[in-house]
Amino acid sequence: MDMTRREAFKNLAKGTLPVLAAGCVSTVLPGVAHAEEEKQAPEGALGLLYDATRCVGCKSCMVACSQANDLKPDTRIDGLHQAPPTLNYFTKNIIKLYRTEDGSDHSYFKQQCMQCVDPGCVNACMFGGLRKDVETGVVWWYGAKCVGCRYCEIACSFHIPQFQWDGFNPKIVKCELCREHIAKGAKQPGCTEVCPTQAVIYGKREDLLKEAKSRIAASPGKYFENRVYGEHDAGGTQVLYLSRVSFANIGLPDLGENSIPSGLKYPHAVYKWMALPMALFAGMVFFANRNFKEHDHHLVEDQKKTGLRPQL
Amino acid sequence: MANDSFEKETIAQSLKNAGYSRRDFLQLCTTLVATAPMGLALTDKATPAQIAKKVAKAKKPSVVWLHFQDCTGCSETLLRTSKPDVADLIINVISLDYHETLMVACGHQAEDALKSAVNDNAGKFVLVVEGAIPTKDQGTFMMMGGRPAMDVLREVSSKAAAIIAMGSCASWGGVPSADPNPTGSTGVDQIISGIPIVNLPGCPPNPYTLLGVVLEYAVMGKLPATDDLKRPKFAYDRVIHDHCPRRAHFDAGRFAGNFGDAGHREGYCLFKLGCKGPVTHAGCSTRHFNEMVDAWPIGTGAPCFGCTEQKVGFRIPAFSTVDPHTFTPPDTYAPISSSVGKFGAAAAGLVGIAAGAIGGATWAASQKLASSEETIAAEAKPTSTPVGGK
Amino acid sequence: MTRWERSVPVYGVPVITRGFWALLGLIAVGLGLIAIREVVGLGGNISGMSDPFAWGLWKTFNVMVLTGLGSGGFAVGIAAWVFNNEKLHSVMRVALLTSVLAYWTGLFALGVDVGRPWNFYWVAWPATWNLHSPLLEIAVCIMLYATVPLFLENLPPVFEYIIYEFPKLRGIAEFCESVMKKVYPVIIGLAYILPIMHQSSLGALMILGGNRVHTLWQTPFLPLIYVWAAGFLGYNCVVLCLLLAKLAWKRDVDPEVLSEMNKITVWVVYSWAAFQLLDILVRGKFFHLFTDGYYSILYWVETALIVGSAYVLSTEKGKKLGTMFLAHALCALGGMIYRFAPTTLAFHAKDGATYFPSAIELIVSLSFVAIAVLAYLVAVKKLAILPGSNQDWRNMARYEEQVKPGIKLTGYAPAQH
Repeated sequence: MDMTRREAFKNLAKGTLPVLAAGCVSTVLPGVAHAEEEKQAPEGALGLLYDATRCVGCKSCMVACSQANDLKPDTRIDGLHQAPPTLNYFTKNIIKLYRTEDGSDHSYFKQQCMQCVDPGCVNACMFGGLRKDVETGVVWWYGAKCVGCRYCEIACSFHIPQFQWDGFNPKIVKCELCREHIAKGAKQPGCTEVCPTQAVIYGKREDLLKEAKSRIAASPGKYFENRVYGEHDAGGTQVLYLSRVSFANIGLPDLGENSIPSGLKYPHAVYKWMALPMALFAGMVFFANRNFKEHDHHLVEDQKKTGLRPQL
Repeated sequence: MANDSFEKETIAQSLKNAGYSRRDFLQLCTTLVATAPMGLALTDKATPAQIAKKVAKAKKPSVVWLHFQDCTGCSETLLRTSKPDVADLIINVISLDYHETLMVACGHQAEDALKSAVNDNAGKFVLVVEGAIPTKDQGTFMMMGGRPAMDVLREVSSKAAAIIAMGSCASWGGVPSADPNPTGSTGVDQIISGIPIVNLPGCPPNPYTLLGVVLEYAVMGKLPATDDLKRPKFAYDRVIHDHCPRRAHFDAGRFAGNFGDAGHREGYCLFKLGCKGPVTHAGCSTRHFNEMVDAWPIGTGAPCFGCTEQKVGFRIPAFSTVDPHTFTPPDTYAPISSSVGKFGAAAAGLVGIAAGAIGGATWAASQKLASSEETIAAEAKPTSTPVGGK
Repeated sequence: MTRWERSVPVYGVPVITRGFWALLGLIAVGLGLIAIREVVGLGGNISGMSDPFAWGLWKTFNVMVLTGLGSGGFAVGIAAWVFNNEKLHSVMRVALLTSVLAYWTGLFALGVDVGRPWNFYWVAWPATWNLHSPLLEIAVCIMLYATVPLFLENLPPVFEYIIYEFPKLRGIAEFCESVMKKVYPVIIGLAYILPIMHQSSLGALMILGGNRVHTLWQTPFLPLIYVWAAGFLGYNCVVLCLLLAKLAWKRDVDPEVLSEMNKITVWVVYSWAAFQLLDILVRGKFFHLFTDGYYSILYWVETALIVGSAYVLSTEKGKKLGTMFLAHALCALGGMIYRFAPTTLAFHAKDGATYFPSAIELIVSLSFVAIAVLAYLVAVKKLAILPGSNQDWRNMARYEEQVKPGIKLTGYAPAQH
């Protein structure tokens, strides 16, 4: 390339400066723009408290859930027994078993939607196919707005929304705290109603938190890290867990205290009031307009010389 | 058969006269409680002593028992007990005013017996029907005393207080109604309406179910709560599968594969041999027959064939398996993380081929371009040499 | 060697060739499989997707990777129109064509991939828009981009075609052209801001993947690095198209233009790689570059492909066409690996979960590409897309005048202003 050093720097500046500027602005802006408030659970937030030390693995909750939600049992392993290996589009609730290799320790784990205070899935859904009830905080699926893009599955670090892979009218299936079952008159979700040891209980989140903390206080050292999972995890969830073994072992990920959508706060800042994009747009139109006029002038000159119709 | 049609004695009197001790009576009442722990007002929250008190005061109900297209098995079940006294006992608790198998009379005497039993107790007797009723060709496939059975049934029913259809045949047609049903056999409630009917399907049903229904009527004055097929809920509200003693084997996946094999001898679940327990409503899993434990089909190692259900018994072949229609958590657990995702050979092959093809083409293209030795280095001055079309 | 002064169609070459039939065959198979997918759903053998890996090839490759490759329209365009790089004007039409084809086949792939496409009309109803969702930004932006500015930018060759071939419609076509000229700066303003927004949002998508995206790729700056990569990918694609045109149809190359494009590619790549590395260092993840096994290797492979190729382009060796071709191809490969990493290659969805596309998924994905390639081949033969010299045009005119008597391709009076 035969260009002077000056030209080289000019090109470098042309190429990278705008991008660097955008990068700097997008880092500075979050400090300037007010931080997006941390979402709080609504006053009437409902949830579950699952105490793994009380669960005996009877799986009645799986049966009750299928019945309360009119779901077919997943009998694909042998055609006979309801034995889903994991949550799927006809299993909203599952009991999983954690067990050490030598069998010396084990714990059950009831997995269903965490009903996050600031859910990743609700944040991800383009048209509001997944929405969080304003009063109860229950996260539920609204089919009329769902496009089936499955971004909610990508956005959920708990691996909860399940897509119906078979058939031409697929749904997203996940626990909704028996929203419809309760609307039809039930007092509780199917699982909590049937649990023989009251390992999983239903109620307002603040009451459940109190209960969980009182259990921890009553038996210090019994529960892992003497804390309840979901109080602050991932920005807080309405489904709370107490466990003797580590949360990681039973499949509850370590997500810190920031909600899943909080990762987007920088990109969101860049779009605040659409200011930056508009400015960039205006700038580009301005320069393009000036260059277009110059370019058009050249085209006319060329046409005079060559007699060939100019190309836009 | 004694015809105490004018003055009905109380059950207590009748039993005393027959020489039964209070102990025997209490034993009967205890059996009643076991038969119907719930769903029967007579036994609801009552001790045997309390039941005995109620039953003792009641008048012996008059029962007329008609046979149609039957095998008499339902009558036999009443008699087929291990303690011969109990059959007798039952007959002393109810006033069996007409029963073709058990009575002595025959011919014209029998017809007169029926007439007087019906007329003397008109509006008060319980009609027990055993056997299906043929309806084809004006019901002429079965004649009773020169008249079609259908007509006899209609006439007797018109004077009955309630009808108990004893057995599957009387409930919905039973064996005679199996394909192609040449005689048009059907159950009582397809012919009679306007009178309370209780169906007790089974082939045969448990005799204590009958006793419970009759005594409920006699003592409490009403028939027990029934489902939409008119079956008393206390005996027919659950399927065999839900109370089967072998259920644990089903849940754990232990099955008998063939008659006589190791699994069969171990007493494992008979589902794979065609047991219709999951789709058959009956109480047989908890109330066995002949007052002997395990005296019922599954207990003896024979799969249930669904004798109480019209859609199952005598319809679905004996050794065909059915859909359990039930949510059954098994004896295994999902792991915390399960493996998902398949790696198909065809797909891998395709990727290999595609990658190879594109990679190879790219390499070939670059080689071809290289062979032209063209370069955009500064020395090469651009010329406007016209280039041909191809 | 020549100088590129205008766009000239490929002439004297039949449109229907063996390649044409092969591509058409693949497309037909693809369409058949798509019909089955619409009835049967996405499970079973249709695709290798599962709940942990909810996005398969169609979204991640045909949309996220190939629209990156098809970013020539705005990457080259910004250099040409905003930074007034005159030399790049002659290749704008190729760049725009690759963009429109990549985007339209990408949209088609998206339509086939989503499970409930009948609800997509909500994209036009702002009241339902969830403004927090990156995917919404992409949906609205891509729809707008592909249907308005990108589409309009590709119309001039079509107008020309009409003007030359259909004298009766000349008036309308000329009118449309003049209207377009008046608003062209606004169209291209949109044509650059919209893809910057959605190409960066494509990166923002995976931020919600949290720590399932390996830490070497997961950063709040993912949108920036993603759109930056689209920058050099666009150039890769256009240069490859130009060099392939030389191979296939003996089209001469313009060394100045190619050299300009190489220069820009090199600077975009170097700055991109530097920023990505800086981001990793600032986040404190230096050691992951070496200690994370498969992920570290993946990072180095992708970086070597991209940066190594750019380096080669900046040397003397890179001026040779053969080497240039290979360098751009490998750089594009590296860039595609980068765009593919956060969604699939460096995405640890869940313990025990793996993803490999099924055979049907692969064939359908390739058929989408085949549609783009087929359309490209037809377009460059019918319309004036590929760059050439004025003399090339005159030769083409002579040829066409023999084949289609009465057509007038030269000797136009100066335009009235």
